[in-house]
Amino acid sequence: MASLEIRAARRHFVTPEGGRVAALDGIDLTVGANEFVTLLGPSGCGKTTLLRAISGFEALDSGSIRLDGTDLAALPPFKRPVNTVFQSYALFSHMSVARNVGYALEVRGVDRKAREAAVESALAKVGLTGMGGRRPNQLSGGQRQRVALARSIVAEPRLLLLDEPLSALDRNLRQQMQIELKTLQSRLGIAFVFVTHDQEEALTMSDRIVVMRAGRIEQIGTPREIYRHPRTRFVAEFIGETNLFHATVDRIEGAQALARTAQGVEMLLPATGLRRGQAVTAVLRPADFSLADQGIAGRVTRAVYLGSDLQLYVQPDAGGEEIRVTARDGANAPATGAAVHLSYAPEAAHVLEAA
Amino acid sequence: MRNPIGWASLTLFSLGFFAFIYAPLFVIIGYSFNSNPVNMMVWDHFTLDWYRGLFGLAREQLSGSVMPASGYVESTGHMLAALRNSLMVASITTVISTVIGTATAIALSRFRFRLKGFYSGFLMLPMMMPDIVLGIGLLIFFVTIGMQLSMLTIIIGHCTFLSSYVFIIVQARMAGLDPALEEASADLGASEWLTLRKVLLPQLAPGILGGALLAFVISMDDLVITYFVAGTDNTTLPVYIFGMIRRGVKPEINAIATLIILASVVIAAAGLWLRARKTD
Amino acid sequence: MCWRLRKLMTRQNLVLTTLLAPVTLFLGVFFLLPLVIIGLFSILSPGLYGGVEWSFYHWNYGRIFGWADGIDEIFEPIYLQILLRSLGFAAMTVVLSLLLCYPVAFWVSRLSPKTRLFFLFLVTLPFFSSLVVRLYAWLLILKPSGLLNSALMGIGVISQPLEILYTPAAVVLGMVYIMVPFMFLPLYSAVDNLDRALIEASMDLGANRIQTFFKVILPQTLPGIMGGAVIVFIPSVGNFIVPDLLGGARGLMIGNLVEQQFLSARNWPFGAALSMIIMSVVLLVLLSSLGRAKKAGV
Repeated sequence: MASLEIRAARRHFVTPEGGRVAALDGIDLTVGANEFVTLLGPSGCGKTTLLRAISGFEALDSGSIRLDGTDLAALPPFKRPVNTVFQSYALFSHMSVARNVGYALEVRGVDRKAREAAVESALAKVGLTGMGGRRPNQLSGGQRQRVALARSIVAEPRLLLLDEPLSALDRNLRQQMQIELKTLQSRLGIAFVFVTHDQEEALTMSDRIVVMRAGRIEQIGTPREIYRHPRTRFVAEFIGETNLFHATVDRIEGAQALARTAQGVEMLLPATGLRRGQAVTAVLRPADFSLADQGIAGRVTRAVYLGSDLQLYVQPDAGGEEIRVTARDGANAPATGAAVHLSYAPEAAHVLEAA
Repeated sequence: MRNPIGWASLTLFSLGFFAFIYAPLFVIIGYSFNSNPVNMMVWDHFTLDWYRGLFGLAREQLSGSVMPASGYVESTGHMLAALRNSLMVASITTVISTVIGTATAIALSRFRFRLKGFYSGFLMLPMMMPDIVLGIGLLIFFVTIGMQLSMLTIIIGHCTFLSSYVFIIVQARMAGLDPALEEASADLGASEWLTLRKVLLPQLAPGILGGALLAFVISMDDLVITYFVAGTDNTTLPVYIFGMIRRGVKPEINAIATLIILASVVIAAAGLWLRARKTD
Repeated sequence: MCWRLRKLMTRQNLVLTTLLAPVTLFLGVFFLLPLVIIGLFSILSPGLYGGVEWSFYHWNYGRIFGWADGIDEIFEPIYLQILLRSLGFAAMTVVLSLLLCYPVAFWVSRLSPKTRLFFLFLVTLPFFSSLVVRLYAWLLILKPSGLLNSALMGIGVISQPLEILYTPAAVVLGMVYIMVPFMFLPLYSAVDNLDRALIEASMDLGANRIQTFFKVILPQTLPGIMGGAVIVFIPSVGNFIVPDLLGGARGLMIGNLVEQQFLSARNWPFGAALSMIIMSVVLLVLLSSLGRAKKAGV
């Protein structure tokens, strides 16, 4: 069932100063035939280069990209059964919406009747029925986004590439489009490769997330795996809000390990794979903590109102970095300066494989 | 992804294009050093005689050659007079058209009034009107009202269309300025005139300078309008050279042409360098 | 009365009037009035020894378009021919300079910023250099004993000198040569502003390079093409310097006719009528291009 297979893909660029920068530094990735995969990472991590290598606008220095077993390297962009939704939408301003959407069929020589039917159905899929006669510059940002989407699926590609397509939309529209994109993908039954630097977007839509950094893949996994079990500190910090604890394992009792930070804060961690004396980095999300009668003692330095929740910044009495905690807002919510104790379920703590 | 063969042929074509633009100029420069006085297309040997002749320095050397020396001396005198006329016309034209063009640009970009649309369209016309129409229009006009053709009529002719050029350049610069600066000045109590002098004009200076330079260059090179409205005693350099070429190709033209090419390269380079420095 | 006037002339109005007065007076007297006078002269009868007689006379146009009476004024098809030829030469100049400049504009826009600046400088430089001198260079090259013929005979391609000078080809060549910068700059700005994502989108959707060019690149740069075409066409129609220097009898254009009427034939009304025709062509082209631009803007 494997659809897209990328093996050992490498690509470097020469900077204006003459240095070499690896945009892709040995990428291995398989995308299933009906999978929604997100390439996530900060700008410059190589995610866009990877996307452009798949669409054919960048050549690889080495490595291969295969789609359903066919090597794409020899095919120019216009011969690849892959379409792209561009970040800027790249709508043709001199054509009507209908002609934009029908473009892929027009250049393939599909006759007018079949083309019109396909355009109608593509416009219907993105909720723009009857808008075919308009010009792109008469549409709102969200509508343009939908036209770009309709245009890229009309020729029934086997793989759709999306290059930060939602970045220009406002928050509400973006959230709505996230859901629509996911629905559309499962209805079309083709693979989506989605590029973004927005971790929330990645968590919302993806079957799997590929976290990239400096031309390499840091971790591949489902949103839950990536969030709950980040493999590296980079992944932990890039995705969601994170409290990191650097500690040394004191002793192991059954399924639990007792560790101590340099400042002397005591922590209970899942013991799996740990041994005495080992230096570990543990990840705890703000929502993993709750206010209790005992646990890590500290003082609230700031309380930020987030609507139904409060974000508390708690300075442990023992010292060390502030801990971020999500607490329910209410009458007895702690105020700035209040002394609190933080507790958490030991199994919620996640120990990084690599620091 | 670039198609390497396509790119190579595009490069080749483009270099050919630049050769097409520049080869003729180099042909002139080359021939201006050819000593063959009978057939200047046949290379004889390197000489500076034609340049010496231009500056009236080569009387003795040339007296033995085929051409009578007096011809050169006389034509040199005419040519220098034409050059003087050109410089004078261009200088005065530059001043007048810069004042008119700048005033108009300020009026059109800083004020709202009913005829604004009309003015901005109307100011395009002198630039778009073919120079021959403008030239004969002015000729008939001057003759009809009984105005003697002179340096003055040439200057008037140049100002009609160069005011528009200055206007366009200054207006473009104006569009890039922040009106809030003038509002701040007015807010701080400066009158309109004071704001104009102390705030607007200094900011506009690069645009005004660019417009003036363009006006000067075009005025120096104008042929058609001058051709119609110049009196018999007031030719400018382009008209003089045009006449010379019409009478027949003589080797000294090569030397004059080379000097003009060099002068224009220097002016253009200076102008562009000035602009590049300003935008940095 | 006095206080009302003062109220009307607020400070703002005073400044505006002062700023607009010079251009209004100057262009009114020395631009609009001359154009009106050309129109007026074109319907007056020519005087016996140059000058005009102040009586209405439509045969100036009749001589050109064919309703001359055959007694006082004779219709000669040559005038119409020359008019059509001028339009043809101008159109050819537009097409040739477009074909020359478009690929180069594309090439320059793809260069690194520094090299790009250098080549843009090279394109604009000839604009600053004398028009007569640049045309004179072609005289040297195209003459029967000129550089081109010597070179071609030297390498044995031809045995007799080609007759290029004083032909229509020489006129069009000369006009293309002087108009190239005017065509290049609007084209370059259109090509440079073209969003590269559009080209990629087209190829991504399955269009090959040729389809992409005709369906996306060309239509997207059309405003620049139209702008360049207008800017080149207008001065070409009325040009008389180029045909004067490089064209013979077969290369004569309407501008030459006008010049002759004023400086040798001394038939001013007829010359004025010919100028009116040039002016109408120019205004027609300008208005239609404005109309196009307005329609495309909606």
